[in-house]
Amino acid sequence: MNQASSETKSRSTNWLLRILRYPRTQNLVIAILAVLMALVAISLVIVIIGKNPLTVFVSLLRGSGWLPKPRYASGRSMLTDFLGLLDALTPMIFAAIAVAIAFKAGLFNIGISGQMLTGGFLATVLIGYSQLDAVLAKPLVLLVGALSGAMLALFVGWLKANFNIHEVVSTIMLNYVVQYIVSFFIKGYFIEPVSRQSHTVSVASRLTLVNVQIGAVETRIPLCFLLAVGLAGVFYLILARTRLGYEIRAVGSNRQAAEYSGISSRRTIMLTMALSGAAAGLAGVTYYLGYYNSIMPGDLSSVGFDSIAVALLASANPLACVLSAMLITSLSYGSNYMSSVADVSEYIASLLIGIVLLFSACSGFLKYLVNRNNLAVDQSDDREEPGSTPATGGD
Amino acid sequence: MSETILELKHISKRFPGVIANNDISLEIQRGEIFAFLGENGAGKSTLASIIFGMYSPDAGEIILRGQAVQINSPARAVELDIGMVHQHFKLVSNYSVTENIILGREPIKRLLGIIPAIDYKKARAQVQELIDRYDFDLSADDLIEDLNVSSQQRVEILKMLYRDAEILIFDEPTAMLTPQEIDSLLAIIRRLREAGKTIILITHKLEEIKLVADRCAIMSRGHLIDVYDVQTTSTQLMANRMVGRQLSFQLDKAPAHFGPAVLELKELSVIDAFKVKRLDKASFTVHAGEVFALAGVAGNGQIQLADALAGLVQHSGQIILNGQDISQASVRKRIQSGLAYIPEDRHGVGLFLDFDVTENLISKQYYRPPFAHWAFLQKKTSQRYAELLIVRYDVRCAQGPATIVRSMSGGNQQKLIIARELDTHADLVIFVQPTRGLDIGATLSIRQRIIDERNSGKAVLLISLELEEVLTVADNIAVIFNGNLTKVTPAAEISLAELGEYMMGVRQ
Repeated sequence: MNQASSETKSRSTNWLLRILRYPRTQNLVIAILAVLMALVAISLVIVIIGKNPLTVFVSLLRGSGWLPKPRYASGRSMLTDFLGLLDALTPMIFAAIAVAIAFKAGLFNIGISGQMLTGGFLATVLIGYSQLDAVLAKPLVLLVGALSGAMLALFVGWLKANFNIHEVVSTIMLNYVVQYIVSFFIKGYFIEPVSRQSHTVSVASRLTLVNVQIGAVETRIPLCFLLAVGLAGVFYLILARTRLGYEIRAVGSNRQAAEYSGISSRRTIMLTMALSGAAAGLAGVTYYLGYYNSIMPGDLSSVGFDSIAVALLASANPLACVLSAMLITSLSYGSNYMSSVADVSEYIASLLIGIVLLFSACSGFLKYLVNRNNLAVDQSDDREEPGSTPATGGD
Repeated sequence: MSETILELKHISKRFPGVIANNDISLEIQRGEIFAFLGENGAGKSTLASIIFGMYSPDAGEIILRGQAVQINSPARAVELDIGMVHQHFKLVSNYSVTENIILGREPIKRLLGIIPAIDYKKARAQVQELIDRYDFDLSADDLIEDLNVSSQQRVEILKMLYRDAEILIFDEPTAMLTPQEIDSLLAIIRRLREAGKTIILITHKLEEIKLVADRCAIMSRGHLIDVYDVQTTSTQLMANRMVGRQLSFQLDKAPAHFGPAVLELKELSVIDAFKVKRLDKASFTVHAGEVFALAGVAGNGQIQLADALAGLVQHSGQIILNGQDISQASVRKRIQSGLAYIPEDRHGVGLFLDFDVTENLISKQYYRPPFAHWAFLQKKTSQRYAELLIVRYDVRCAQGPATIVRSMSGGNQQKLIIARELDTHADLVIFVQPTRGLDIGATLSIRQRIIDERNSGKAVLLISLELEEVLTVADNIAVIFNGNLTKVTPAAEISLAELGEYMMGVRQ
């Protein structure tokens, strides 16, 4: 009896398991599953507080420019919302691929926020407050941001490679160091008395064009969005197709085996951290000199921390990072409109993001559940092709 | 005849593409040592896992103490007084012996009559009592991380005994042990039988079965061949049944023709991270066309020697390879000057388990043409190379070059490493424990490979603790004991017993 029922059960879940187990698409399918589960969970919450989940979700999409709103204020349109979303998305993509590439080398770069702030602050002070022309200023902002972020992260890599200081510890500590040093300088030299933030940067150096007229519509244009997507592609290619990428994955997969193969794990760790820091620095300049145009002293951007979860949701694949960053940023960007239209608290959006990230953090566990039976086979050493004969003495 | 404690009826289990167990029926008597014998992939581990509730069979039933039971989880198996010692131990390394043993079944006392707390005093006493009763040479307070492999295994056995297991399953218990440790384990198994336990022993080593088992089920490719009474069956017959054909234990070894010196070691010393001298001024020479074996019980400095040669640990002294001093060279430089190294720890050092076959095969050459052009990997070239090596070295992998190495069997993982190392055409090949944990077929094939390498004029350094392997394969033997080379001799001039005495440090 018991056995018969378990057999029918296994047959009915078979197709689902087969999809979930298919190795090539497994990460994607499980990420989608995590998002769907989060949507179901948050729907329950919304139903409990007496609202219609569908209205809430639609208003989120409208707020972030994916669906047209019923009406717009003068000079605004769906394009305004969508380009605003891309503006917020740009630093998130940079930050997420920074986490992702470090992750592939087995490094947990928690210091994205600190590296962002370093890049953002130095670019603000060196270029943002200068009188340079836009043609010169914008590339220089990017350069300063990438270089300073890279230098800070390289220092973390150097500590790890030479003294075996764990990068999680050093990056968390450096986050504080950077946060307070930057705060000291802003409060001492660059403070705007009214806003209590740093002086705004010159229009020429800013990486987002604001108040642009396109026909009757007024909007902003994030200049570095395509650069972010492009860099995600470059990181993907580095990892999949280059010697350096092979070294990064080798060190991340098994540092001892990498050393044994003649790969210098110290060099690889330092290089990877520098790449990660460069991307984080770019996130910093597109955030502090793009999305915003000033720095709040004593504050670390939450983008740096959310990007960790974004990268996890993307299984540290830089291209997938673009999609998962898009998802997470859409949820937060649309929350303002959602709360005013659907009459639910803005925090519902934060809750939704939280739950999506929670489920995505569980994706490792989901994978374990799905693969459990298969994994057990590997451990038992009993996995040879059927009909295989043991090899006999030399051929 | 005593009563039947466990009966398997028509058990079948299939995995995608593999029938691991095909209609297996057998009976195990109370108080006997029953062995499952078979090569890697014969299905013996799967069968044991079914008994321990790790898999549920697709068909068939299990009858325990006369009653049909469903064992659908290891927890259920433990409830039914079945215990299992896995090949890879499951211990918390910074917990004491007692804490590990009671984990999940802690004796509880009530502080102040209400607050539940673990009664360590009682637990400790219980554990110590078990240790004493079975004479296990352990202390209840030892930390797991301070114990060697065989002591850790005894902790695993204690864990089963603490849970009152009546049927004890041992999965390849001797795979990680030295010869001396194997002897003491077999003694423990006999003692457990005397205490009335029923033991299921999974192994592919015939000698062990001959030494301890009462009966033995021989399995081959998922089928049960037959159950034999060990005392009345010859080893040769069991071996033939196991592989399903006549086996020759003879290797095809032509007389040696030594060429010029390939490797010269001069006073090589290794001091580890804890400032302990692991290798003390080792000097020897290996010639082209020679198998030079370094025999020794594990932990006497041979791994340090191999790692020092490969450039993985700090060392002093001179290493001269092909007349070139490589003592200060980087790992990659040494590989380029003609050094191939098949390490002992396949998973930890030799392979990237999450990489596919191709990426593992190119791990020492990925950076140079034809595998890379400028900074870019040449995937197609690598893949063709992998296809070639898979055929040439008979590596069995279900999805060809794209097979993830983790999913392959141990024997094929080892073949993969050997393919990669030998195909660099290095002048010196270091083999460390090349046949550890492999079945007879794979073992013979690898030993023959070693001799073929030597016949083709390579210098081979073989590091092994299996006396038989050292004696049959090597031309010259050096014994290493406590970091010192205590004896260097041609293989023909030393007997098995003598070699054993040198390895144990009885003779200096």
